[in-house]
Amino acid sequence: MSEKILLGIVAFLTTLLIGLGFFWNPELPERVLPQAGMAAGGEFTLESAKGPVSLKDYRGKLVLVYFGYTYCPDICPTSLAGTAAGLNLLDPDELAQVAVIFVSVDPERDTPARLKEYVEFFHPSMVGVTGTPENLAEIAKRYGAFYARQPVEAAGGYVVDHSSETYVVGREGQMLSKIAHAAPPDEVAAEIRRRLK
Amino acid sequence: MKRISVLLAGLMISAGALAASADSVTVQNPYVRLAPPNAPATAAFMVLKNDGDKDVKVMKADNPTSKLTELHTHINDNGVMKMRPVAAIEIKAKGEAKLQPGGLHVMLINLKAPMKEGDVVPITLTFDDGSSKVVDAKVMKPVAAGMPAMEHKH
Repeated sequence: MSEKILLGIVAFLTTLLIGLGFFWNPELPERVLPQAGMAAGGEFTLESAKGPVSLKDYRGKLVLVYFGYTYCPDICPTSLAGTAAGLNLLDPDELAQVAVIFVSVDPERDTPARLKEYVEFFHPSMVGVTGTPENLAEIAKRYGAFYARQPVEAAGGYVVDHSSETYVVGREGQMLSKIAHAAPPDEVAAEIRRRLK
Repeated sequence: MKRISVLLAGLMISAGALAASADSVTVQNPYVRLAPPNAPATAAFMVLKNDGDKDVKVMKADNPTSKLTELHTHINDNGVMKMRPVAAIEIKAKGEAKLQPGGLHVMLINLKAPMKEGDVVPITLTFDDGSSKVVDAKVMKPVAAGMPAMEHKH
């Protein structure tokens, strides 16, 4: 009896599996996805080479916010080059509605003047800012960005572990989504366009 | 005649056994990423192919443009990128090791002078048997992921 039941179950599961194989065609997730549990984000004021920069200065624009540091030899250049290439896919009208803020979490080594030259190398529309360690820690926490100094014997004494997503902030200053590290330029541009609408 | 062929075979076998790691490794697409202004460090990338029958390890790298040269990798820990030095980069027999953005790289730390696009940086790789190889890596502008630096798409 129990054998029959077992066989029945096996037959059912086999059918289900075959059926799934044939008919279940899940949509593959895109690499750029609005996250379910997005961090709050919100206002901040930090220092740029041209004086204080606040998120609210960019009301009406879509703002991409990235946390990094200039001593970062690989991850930040890859992210920033991807973002810059994405910006270059936009038409001038769209580009005028987008701002990019690079927040250095390494204020000890990254002065606003250094940051300016660094970010403009990638794209002239990027702004580099930093602040006090306390201010940066508070902002990063609200944005869900993580960073931690690691005393690795390299790169001038320490490296900074950091989250590598780019935050997409809406025209009203509200957190919208995250762009994954190393997202290709067309995905960056697609996400910007989606959020500009 | 037979003796000569035995001798030749013997020579070939010993030559095979004595082949230096550096000789069994070929390097493809080496490049150094142009350091943005004020960035004191940058990375070199390449594909190392091991045509030999033995696993080979790169133990260290050296170059004249930076004060320090290290072998590094990145660990992606839930979106947090952690860069860490590695003791060696292993290239399996008949296999390859890819040094690419977001992963293994040769890190050039504390650049002595700003680089410019098109410069060539000679990078010396030293292998586990003490043999070494110089790789001429061209300096290239950072490009977005998925766009190989060697194929300039504009």
